[in-house]
Amino acid sequence: MSEEQRPPGEEAAAQSAQPAPRPHRGPPIETADETLSERGEATAKRLAAALGADAVAAGGRGETPWARVEVGALARVLRRCRDDDALRMDMLHYVERIELDYVLASVAHNRKAIIKVDLPADAPSAPTATRLWQAAAWYEREAHDLFGVAFEGNDDLAPLLLFEGFEGRPGLKSFPLHEYEEY
Amino acid sequence: MIEARDVLYIGAGLFALFNGLMVVTLSLVWLERKFLGRLQGRVGPTRVGPFGLLQAVADALKLLMKEDVSPGPAARVIFYAAPLLVFVPGFIVWLTIPFAQDMAVRNLELGIFFFIAFSVLSIVGLVLAGWSSASKYAVLGGFRSAAQLVSYEIPIIMTLLTVVIVAGTMNIAEVVEAQASVPYVALLPLAAVVFLLAGIAEVGRTPFDIYFAESEVVGGPFVEYSGAHWAVFFLAEYVSTFVIAALTALLFLGGWRWPFGADLPPAAGVALVLAKTYAVVLAIFWLRATYPRLRIDQLMSLGWKALIPLSFAAVIIAAAQRFYGWPTWSLTALSVIVLAVPAILQVRLQRRPAMERARRYARRAMAERAR
Amino acid sequence: MSAEPQTDTVDMMLNMGPQHPATHGVFRMVLSIDGERIMGVRPHIGYLHRGSEKLSEHESYGQVITLFDRLDYVSNLNNELVFVRAAEELMGVEAPERAQYIRTILCELNRVASHLLFIGTYALDVGAMTPVMYTFRERERVQNLFEHVTGARMMHNYFRIGGLKEDVPGDFAERVLSVVRRLRAGVEETDRLLTFNEVYLARTRGVGVINAEDAISCGLTGPCLRGSGVAYDVRKAYPYEVYERLEFDVPVGEFGDCWDRYWVRLRECYESLRMVEQALEQTPEGPVMAPGRRIARPPKGEVYAHAENPRGDIGVFLVSDGTDKPYRVKVRPPSFCNLVGLERMMEGAYVADAVAILGSLDIVLGEVDR
Repeated sequence: MSEEQRPPGEEAAAQSAQPAPRPHRGPPIETADETLSERGEATAKRLAAALGADAVAAGGRGETPWARVEVGALARVLRRCRDDDALRMDMLHYVERIELDYVLASVAHNRKAIIKVDLPADAPSAPTATRLWQAAAWYEREAHDLFGVAFEGNDDLAPLLLFEGFEGRPGLKSFPLHEYEEY
Repeated sequence: MIEARDVLYIGAGLFALFNGLMVVTLSLVWLERKFLGRLQGRVGPTRVGPFGLLQAVADALKLLMKEDVSPGPAARVIFYAAPLLVFVPGFIVWLTIPFAQDMAVRNLELGIFFFIAFSVLSIVGLVLAGWSSASKYAVLGGFRSAAQLVSYEIPIIMTLLTVVIVAGTMNIAEVVEAQASVPYVALLPLAAVVFLLAGIAEVGRTPFDIYFAESEVVGGPFVEYSGAHWAVFFLAEYVSTFVIAALTALLFLGGWRWPFGADLPPAAGVALVLAKTYAVVLAIFWLRATYPRLRIDQLMSLGWKALIPLSFAAVIIAAAQRFYGWPTWSLTALSVIVLAVPAILQVRLQRRPAMERARRYARRAMAERAR
Repeated sequence: MSAEPQTDTVDMMLNMGPQHPATHGVFRMVLSIDGERIMGVRPHIGYLHRGSEKLSEHESYGQVITLFDRLDYVSNLNNELVFVRAAEELMGVEAPERAQYIRTILCELNRVASHLLFIGTYALDVGAMTPVMYTFRERERVQNLFEHVTGARMMHNYFRIGGLKEDVPGDFAERVLSVVRRLRAGVEETDRLLTFNEVYLARTRGVGVINAEDAISCGLTGPCLRGSGVAYDVRKAYPYEVYERLEFDVPVGEFGDCWDRYWVRLRECYESLRMVEQALEQTPEGPVMAPGRRIARPPKGEVYAHAENPRGDIGVFLVSDGTDKPYRVKVRPPSFCNLVGLERMMEGAYVADAVAILGSLDIVLGEVDR
């Protein structure tokens, strides 16, 4: 597997459990010059207070802080984000990547935050968020479609963007762009 | 006793009528496109012939030359017979519709009854067309048409009955003569309005084009038809529209009689009938340009909760007036009173709440801005 | 044992789309209907899936802008804006003030054009054929203006990371003013014809209701959310470009029915025109491109930027690995999210309502499927 074809977020997975870390061109995520705006800073404080020890790492840019959590803690973290009075993240913007990013937004407080979680690249799986936000249903279907992430508890993961019977996970970096032939 | 000469005469008359109606249909298609275009800030057809007059001819030729396809699972015989079943009833009623005094193919004594009897038949054609097409949209459209046409047949019959009661005859020419002094629209505004509305619903023009609603059932019973067979449906729609307009002109607008009894030469009479008919047609087109389409349940409640009671009221008013010998103006007065009720209800129950809602939103926006 | 004839009534499955005049593209929904009543609905999308996000990973930043043009193809400039802003935020570049004003003006005009398209096609969905002619005529004025400014009627590719492709033509201000004046009259004309039309009211009031709580949970944004009474507008909540300096109201409905969603969009047209006038007055002279390299190569990092698209809150999650191509681009398409609410709105509706409800969401399939 060449450098360019590595799925995003795999580096973090490699750090934790994967044997034989493969060479890659470095994590695209962590950078130095991330700065939060005033409102973002305030949101980050609230987020840290709500997450407590569950947050493994934290950062942010502009108005959107993020916090990285373990898969095991994901379900309770998401629930806390939605129900915590200081956060009240009542709208889910999307679910994404093998490093799943839950971009949360609060209509009540006009705040945004991102919850990150790393999934193993070979069998990515995460608990569903459909019981918290109805909007999660389609995002999860899409993530399942394009990246093959299994969402436990979401029993409707039928193909959404792809046709039924499509082979492969076209969202992954390992899926060729030009070499793929449809027919 | 029908004689050979009569058969020949009727045959020739129907042939002439058929050709005349073709021309009328072409003129209606052109008129509709041109008129709608003007209403919508467009110019309508301009390319074929002067003022686009030949556009309709070109369209008709195109339709006739198209390949005629039918779906594989269609019930072929019924599928091809259905357009005729729709067209013939709409066409045959012209047998008794006069264009001037003594200018009908056959001036039947029971002319209005003849119209009622035949106009119902087109339902059969529509339902069969829907069923035989083997398409779910067509079936849905077919059943919609059955529900719609059956419901709206009643107000049509009742309003015609009102005219019959007042005129004392079922002969259309005699009804026109009875309007020598005052057209019935002045005496029976209620019946005229109900008749026109129910008539528009009967031929399925907007806002009552539920059964071939383009954006819902994609043409309903006609969805699988193409080429000449589709053209026959198209023809039937325009011929039926023209029937409703002509009947409105004859039964309510005084036909070839100029109001207040001026006598006109027959040629002027024909021109007057045509002018009135086309005026009604234009009004129908105008409605089409103005209103969206009703939903099926709203259509049914309009039919059963508004038009049918109103048409019964019209009959009762006319009958009471005849029975008790009230003065003629009482007909008008009572009709207007009854007509005012649904108008007021409409404004109170529908328009005003929406206006109030909009005003409330606007007030809130102003408050928001001040804050 | 007597063999009684057993008649079973089953719901009929009606497949609407992907070729259907009222599904606004290649959307497909499978309705299970009992007579005219809808018992269940299952939406299917993906017929227009072009893999724009995947494709973006293989194009340079400048080229990705063209892909964003093709997402929501009736509000192209708004789409360009959100990507351009994401990249700018990542690079720490800010467009010159003049560029920001011009972008805002064009985006608001684009919003009006998009809403006009909605009003026309929505009227067509519920069976009125005239408004579409009026609104397309008005929309044409905007398209002509765009052609004059950007050189293209739809796929503009006019915004750049750090500014604009080029400055606007000299007669921009007067042309915009004349367009705004005419648009206002045009919107009013349609407003008078449609808003309180009896049949239109009958078709849209109380149809497709979704309450605020469900709307938020389903992720509805834009006019669909505001129709339900939630005053959430990215332009107010997270002001970007020059929106903070413009005075405008956020129209909000109450009941979350089709009429409210229509009304919100209609009022937004007026508000947008107001904004355009204000922005035009404030537009300063100056450069339209930030100084710097012409080839965008943002540092490593990721950013989530969002903006108010005519359809709702469009978000872009952009991950850069320090090369001249994005590592990952993820779009949060507002139409996609609004569609999630479809099943909830269609509970107990009629077949004819299905068309009215779908139309009131104002989806653009290019964006739903990407």
